Amino acid sequence: MTAPLLVMTGAVKRFGGVQALRGVDFDLKAGEIHALLGENGAGKSTLMNLLSGVYTPDEGTIEIDGKPVRFNNPREAQAAGIATIFQELDLVPSLDVAANLFLGRELMRPGGFLDVPAMRREAKKRLEAIEIAIDPAAMVADLSIGQRQVVAIVKALSYASRVLIMDEPTAALTVGEVERLFDIMRKLAATGVGIVYISHRLEEVPGIADRVTVMRDGRVAGITEPHAPQAELVRLLVGRPLDELYPARIKAAGKPLLSLKNASFKLARDSAGWQAPQGVSVDVHEGEIVGLAGIMGAGRTELLSALYGTGLSGRWEGEVAISGKPVKLDSISAARHAGIAFVTDDRRGSGLMLRMAVGLNLVMSVISRISPNWLVSPHRQAEAVKESFGQFDIRPKNPDIAVGALSGGNQQKVVLAKEILGNPRLLLLDEPTRGVDVGAKGEIYARLRALAAQGLGILVASSEMPELIGLCDRIVVLRQGRNVAEFMGGVDEHTVLAAANGREA
Amino acid sequence: MKTIKRASTLKAVLLAGAGLCIAGSAYAAEPLVKACAKDGQFIIGFSQANNAEPYRQHVNDELEAAVKEVPGFTLQIADGAGNVNTQTSQVDNFITQKVDILLISPFEAAPLTPAVKRAMDAGIPVIELDRKTVGDPGKDYTAFIGGDNFKIAEEAGKYTAKTLLPDGGEAAVLQGLPSSTPAVERLNGFKEGVKGNPKVQIVAEQAADWVPDKAQVAFAAMLQAHPDIKVLYASNDMMAAGALLAAKGAGKDVKIIGTDGLPGPAGGIEAVAKGDWVATFTYPTGAKEAIEMSKKILLDCATEVDKTVTVETTAITAENAKQLMGK
Amino acid sequence: MSDDKISPASAPAPAAPQKHRDPLALIVRFQSLIGLVLVAIGGIIFSPRRHGEILFLNPDNIANIVRAVSETGIIAIGMTFVIITAGIDLSVGAVLGLSSVVTASMMISGGFGLIPTILAVLALGIVFGAIQGTISTRFRLEPFIVTLAGLQAARGLALVVSGNQYINISYGDGPGLAPPVFAVLGERLFNNTVPVATLVFVVFAAVATIVLNTTRFGRYVFAVGGNERAARISGVPVSMVKIAVYAITGFAAALAGIVHAGQFNFGSANDGMGYELTAIAAVVIGGTSLFGGAGSMVGTVAGTIMLGALANILQLNNITPAMQLLATAAIIVLAAVLQSLVRRREGLGR
Repeated sequence: MTAPLLVMTGAVKRFGGVQALRGVDFDLKAGEIHALLGENGAGKSTLMNLLSGVYTPDEGTIEIDGKPVRFNNPREAQAAGIATIFQELDLVPSLDVAANLFLGRELMRPGGFLDVPAMRREAKKRLEAIEIAIDPAAMVADLSIGQRQVVAIVKALSYASRVLIMDEPTAALTVGEVERLFDIMRKLAATGVGIVYISHRLEEVPGIADRVTVMRDGRVAGITEPHAPQAELVRLLVGRPLDELYPARIKAAGKPLLSLKNASFKLARDSAGWQAPQGVSVDVHEGEIVGLAGIMGAGRTELLSALYGTGLSGRWEGEVAISGKPVKLDSISAARHAGIAFVTDDRRGSGLMLRMAVGLNLVMSVISRISPNWLVSPHRQAEAVKESFGQFDIRPKNPDIAVGALSGGNQQKVVLAKEILGNPRLLLLDEPTRGVDVGAKGEIYARLRALAAQGLGILVASSEMPELIGLCDRIVVLRQGRNVAEFMGGVDEHTVLAAANGREA
Repeated sequence: MKTIKRASTLKAVLLAGAGLCIAGSAYAAEPLVKACAKDGQFIIGFSQANNAEPYRQHVNDELEAAVKEVPGFTLQIADGAGNVNTQTSQVDNFITQKVDILLISPFEAAPLTPAVKRAMDAGIPVIELDRKTVGDPGKDYTAFIGGDNFKIAEEAGKYTAKTLLPDGGEAAVLQGLPSSTPAVERLNGFKEGVKGNPKVQIVAEQAADWVPDKAQVAFAAMLQAHPDIKVLYASNDMMAAGALLAAKGAGKDVKIIGTDGLPGPAGGIEAVAKGDWVATFTYPTGAKEAIEMSKKILLDCATEVDKTVTVETTAITAENAKQLMGK
Repeated sequence: MSDDKISPASAPAPAAPQKHRDPLALIVRFQSLIGLVLVAIGGIIFSPRRHGEILFLNPDNIANIVRAVSETGIIAIGMTFVIITAGIDLSVGAVLGLSSVVTASMMISGGFGLIPTILAVLALGIVFGAIQGTISTRFRLEPFIVTLAGLQAARGLALVVSGNQYINISYGDGPGLAPPVFAVLGERLFNNTVPVATLVFVVFAAVATIVLNTTRFGRYVFAVGGNERAARISGVPVSMVKIAVYAITGFAAALAGIVHAGQFNFGSANDGMGYELTAIAAVVIGGTSLFGGAGSMVGTVAGTIMLGALANILQLNNITPAMQLLATAAIIVLAAVLQSLVRRREGLGR
């Protein structure tokens, strides 16, 4: 590898009284995949926004090919060959792939008409160039998250990019999709594109990165080799050695709580892409944490939402019992009545009232409890909020600020605390640590284990295999809506993956 | 404050252009407004029902022109925007300001009655223009100046029955905003007028809310259903203009009668002069008369004024339209 | 543990101050009160004077202002509930017209007494609103569309009930006459100072404030607007809440219709035209977000009075209606811009 493509020196950025970056040096070589790690608030997003022209640095310089540059807006950064793929992909779901790729730069026929066939041909060529088979005429809304990610990358590259910045591109992807994305990234790097890869997932780093920069508190905490031990990365991230990320398992499984025997969810109306549970047999005992593994589309989320009554409408067939008694789970109220609580994988979309105060969010599932006689009792509300703050270390410790202003990890703690307040017997968790930084992850795992120790049963679906393996007592593997394998916690990752993909280990 | 004791019930006595004073005599010859003076400065507040109607804009213009002629007068116009609540609060504001005379065209009669009473109680003479509130002139308000919707429409009906369709035939009516006072009066007046000729049949009546676009749609539908319509009576000029478009669109030669007789290129006088309509019946604004009366009260310290001034309608037909256009 | 902070990267927000509040957020929270104070100060400064008396502050003038806004104020109070759930109700002006017609015709042609009439009209409003809410939730239709249809339906019904005529209310004892006590709605109490219509508005606003801020139902309303899916998952009876808020706007519109009929001794199908837009403007100026989840009754009341005071001072100075409309427009835009700035500071909007 040669001279650096991009060099940032002594970058400082302040927001009001807050110093988001306190003098950061960063460089990227052509053909390099450079991982950028950091907890929420460490400054990596600010750094990214400086490079992509969203913000301008207060101090410090950015050089490309040794020449200083200054971006006043994202357009100028794009013109200099820096493309950014944000977490929230800027694609228009109601347009097809080709239209998205050429958005704002449409190919025209004489007379001002769109040349749709030409755009589709060109789109197909570009997709094939990185060996991706996506129909250019497909609506983006119909694509999986992984496919959308690829479209966003192709779109970014069509600006003749030399630097590609990717903000947590794997956050919403399944294991298989992550592998494919990495393939594409490697191919791109081989053509000389420099890639800045921002992620929360430490375990992905050795597989993809050439170099790792860890940020903490607006500074570079260290630059290491990707194969540095995970403990070392965690120490850099958190600023001190972290004890074991996953709490020790406690053999506390008690009486059967949820038991599904050959249970299927019959949809009222057929729906493509919604993998309804098909003859699932799963047990969750009191005090037990059971994981649901499977590839994207295997029916993990669908199983949880069918149990809670939030998915498509339909009815259960086969045996569905709570504590040995058959229950009819067909609505949210039925599920709550049975003592079930649910935490979605989409905390911003369906978990929290972002503009409302933390305290108001916390008591949302216990409104009737805090309002005897239909009048909300401020005293009971304060007690409930206090209880939640005791359960989870939500920062800042202020129930009056809008929950949307909290970091991802703290938002997730609020969602969990909110459901715990309702004293459920069975907790359904979908991707409980998506977009959550390592420190908060460890805390959430510890709380879940402690709650299980008090008799709570937990059924957790996750696409992060290490999380399932580290956290759960048992892991049930789903494929096409049915359970195909079951392992004890601590099992080897490859074994689970093989089962999930329908292969022999 | 002076009150006229004998509340004579007035049947409108019609004289062209001006009213005839038959007001009851009063005991004390106190002026209606004590602060009256030949060279005084006075504010005239006008509470207009709804500026959005071209006819009412026409009233405002005439009032402004008339006030300009009087050195001591200042005119303030408040737009009730077709809303009795707004208009009530504007009258109240005029009372707070202590205007010297209140002119009002109430959007609706009963709703504005209490506001007018408050003005009278505060010693402000109230001249009602074009539309009345509930009660008697000379007692519940100082005077009424205006045309008579019913009579104007009745004239149009008679004209239809005698001149346009002496041998009978089908006629149609476009009504104003349903359940608004002038719409009801003009509809009933026209019906009364055509009664003189039993061979005239009113085959369709539709509301077009005073506006031309609705009139065009409504009349087009009428012509579909009744292709033999010979005469259309439109309760205002704007609807007549809309109806003309519908008639042209259907290729029909329908005799159209408007109401209001507004001046200007979009008004009825020009449409009649061009031969597009057969007639329009003017609805006089009474603006000049109102300012004349204000002068009597404020400058001449009148002790009494005519209680009702009915300004007569003029039938504008091909004969006189060209001549009136110049005016 | 990690020293978590608000990510300064996502938005240039102050970094999680423990007690410190964003001054801009404070301004928006009390924007309508601040606006009201500013308009009042402007009113005093620019008010015409007579013998040294500031006309704007004349007790009669104050009474005029608060009377004039009482009907749209009552409607705006109901509208606040709906808008907090991120909904909208365009039918309120038409329901006011329907209610005033039904009030008049029940007492005049129907021969019903005062109490049965009032109860029936309020029930009519509730049912009308609840039907709109039910259609909107059951068929998952935008409330905009459903209440737009409701607007037409209510005007149509009003024309049917009134037989295309306006109905005058005359008072007295006997058939075809309304009980004289009904006319009290157009009068002033306490030494001729306090308009009765304003009293109705104030009492309704007080009750609504208590319901919104202290009851379980009020909490549900905020929850549904804050995030409907999250509310559903947390066990909030979302559909019931939505139906209930439209029933409340229906009730408010019916109440305003009764007040209208009593103030103006009159029922007409055309009454209340455009009131829905004035009410929405008052709610938005009051700091309630059209995105839902945030809002305040006090703000709505202040926004309502502010619009009335503004119209008053402009008319006292003989400023044209065109300028009044432009001034109102500027205030609405200013209120909306302030809200959007706060959303951006919170890192929630763009």
